[in-house]
Amino acid sequence: METKISPANTNGDAVLLKGTLRSGQSVEYPGNVVVLGDVNPGAEIIADGHIVVFGALRGVVHAGAQGDDTASITALELAPTQLRIATHITRPPDGMAENGPPHPEKALIKDGMVMIEKYVAPK
Amino acid sequence: MGEVIVVTSGKGGVGKTTTTANLGTGLAMAGKQVVMVDTDIGLRNLDVVLGLENRIVYDIVDVVRENCRLKQALIKDKRYENMYLLPAAQTKDKTAVKEEQMKVLCARLKEEFEYVIIDCPAGIEHGFKNAIAGANQAIVVTTPEVSAVRDADRIIGLLEAAGIYEPKLIINRIRPNMVQSGDMMAVEDILEILSIDLLGIVPDDDTIIISTNQGEPAVTDNNSKAGRAYKNIVKRICGENVPLMILTDNVGFFARVKSFFGNK
Repeated sequence: METKISPANTNGDAVLLKGTLRSGQSVEYPGNVVVLGDVNPGAEIIADGHIVVFGALRGVVHAGAQGDDTASITALELAPTQLRIATHITRPPDGMAENGPPHPEKALIKDGMVMIEKYVAPK
Repeated sequence: MGEVIVVTSGKGGVGKTTTTANLGTGLAMAGKQVVMVDTDIGLRNLDVVLGLENRIVYDIVDVVRENCRLKQALIKDKRYENMYLLPAAQTKDKTAVKEEQMKVLCARLKEEFEYVIIDCPAGIEHGFKNAIAGANQAIVVTTPEVSAVRDADRIIGLLEAAGIYEPKLIINRIRPNMVQSGDMMAVEDILEILSIDLLGIVPDDDTIIISTNQGEPAVTDNNSKAGRAYKNIVKRICGENVPLMILTDNVGFFARVKSFFGNK
């Protein structure tokens, strides 16, 4: 498969955050952000590249904040207050039923829309 | 040297002052030397809840401004002689005390008392910063409401930023029937979000309102469910291992008969 060259996947620079991001805490980073812990409601992450959360993502996240629409957001449990990629903003539909036990999901832009898909490790 | 424990929550009305009064009284009943410090300057309540309002002569602002000696401002409780209150000032505001002054004050208090319990005002501004300045431990109080849990989460973050790690959680005003019917957040849901150690759970209890109005902490009343819950928490603070209270024992007669016949 062809890999697009873009800031998000050429920029290998990433920051690793250990522990839970709590309400009121904000992380801005001009690269990729990896969190080992939960991102709680009221916390925000703004990254120029990808965002990966090894835990439950319940806060607000913005990947590709400088306009890179190849950026993605991956979490073990994807339940954000709001999800932004580049210039796209989405939120979970109102009254969304719990979709089973938590499982890893990935959000990315496809055909100009934010798509949420089951996370499958790249081969 | 004693422990300086701040009782805080972020959100107002979740039971910080009630918790402070009950834990302080409970520790005093267990024979500990206890002082409670009200840092809610301008909106003091702890003295009222403890029934000591009419004994206030000097307050915390007088102490930090050296208008009086510390001993003069400490009010000895009418029930337990090993329990004291340092009241807040009512006619000043939060800026009357500085963080540095609180640190000095707490350091002095913990030389004389085994437990210094600080009642924190609601909010995250000056008053909160004062309250946590001299503390080495924290108890976060929340109720099973989304807004209170959100604020508790923020407070835990701020406590950690201030160097107070591993705060303990008290979940207050649980209504077991509503939890059972799925209308109220369960203890597990709250713990999943906040991910800190649970110190205890306290059921919603009408006797709290009565005891608060009378200035007699519920922990002194053996018939009060909330009082018993606070007693358990006191034991845990003292290092005892006490199982969590089972709140669902107030089911109706029929349900009890049913469960007796194994018909759940």
